[in-house]
Amino acid sequence: MQTKVEELSRVKEIGFMGKVTASLSHEIKNTLAIINESVGLMGDLLRQDTPENWPQYSRLTELTASIEEQVQRNADIIKRLNQFAHSMDKSVVDLDLNETVRQTVVLAQRFATLRRVNLETQLHSTPLHLQGDPFRLLYVIFGFIERAINCSPREAEVTVKTARSGEMFQVTVTDHGTVGADDIEALVAASFSAEAEHGESDLAVLAQTMKALGGTIAVEEGAGGPSKVILSFPASMPTI
Amino acid sequence: MAEYRVLLVDDEEEFVSALSERLMLRGIEVDSALNGEEALARMEEKEFEVVILDVMMPGLSGLEVLRQIKSTHPNTQVILLTGHGATREGMEGMRLGAFDYLIKPVDIEEMLEKMKEAAKTAHTD
Repeated sequence: MQTKVEELSRVKEIGFMGKVTASLSHEIKNTLAIINESVGLMGDLLRQDTPENWPQYSRLTELTASIEEQVQRNADIIKRLNQFAHSMDKSVVDLDLNETVRQTVVLAQRFATLRRVNLETQLHSTPLHLQGDPFRLLYVIFGFIERAINCSPREAEVTVKTARSGEMFQVTVTDHGTVGADDIEALVAASFSAEAEHGESDLAVLAQTMKALGGTIAVEEGAGGPSKVILSFPASMPTI
Repeated sequence: MAEYRVLLVDDEEEFVSALSERLMLRGIEVDSALNGEEALARMEEKEFEVVILDVMMPGLSGLEVLRQIKSTHPNTQVILLTGHGATREGMEGMRLGAFDYLIKPVDIEEMLEKMKEAAKTAHTD
């Protein structure tokens, strides 16, 4: 089990990574702004003085438009990077679980696309306010989404759902795993056992993180359908 | 004659140069400064209806420049340039009296619209 000092070190190390990442993303934004204005000026000058029958006119116009689109695409990516970096600022914040899941799914989208898996969300109709470690939450939810993506066949749909169940808040990830529900349940139970506290498998580390967050993992096998991994979190997670 | 005068303040020289030229092509009278001290000195020499002000600059920060502008030139409207929306700096800037903020990279049409609105308010003070 991690000592308080080890836990504090971990928090500081992650905070350092987040701070530097946020700073770098800010620098990238500045260079994007320069590119944006420079290509915008190229477009302005082309439209102002260039005769439209100049052979290169339409090709240059297309190219400036294409650069502007890529600038905007980059700006969106950097926004996500910055949000991710700021998740490492503090180990306890007030957050909305719906927003955390939304952010996690955006981060996981490229992984899903590469595996040709459709990633969908079904978010609770009202905000799910809780207090906890935003980075750890992202990590653990991402971990189970990634597992579901990697276990699913092409064109399968992985759904991430949020819900409230009594005093607990739930994130349910559909799992098309080749490992059946009983086996996942056994793995999870083993991961939560005292012997497995120092386990190094991905699932063991995720289970340990869930435990540190005061949460639990359950698995349901759908009748004739995919299995569901249900992550339950308390409204106020333990702090170090 | 331009409807209003704009001071553009950002430490990135190429950004200032390209954006200034784009605004001038659209008939806007633009002056520029590469840091907070230079910006405040320019404002002593000339009246500006609108200041476009980068939040994160070395030396005198954008927020400190904003504070000083609102103290010495209360009729001038300030539009902040920020890398990310709803940041601590952006929100603090609005609290200090900024007219609005824009997120880099900026959309020039959006910037023109906000400047026009800001200039209207500056004239009526």
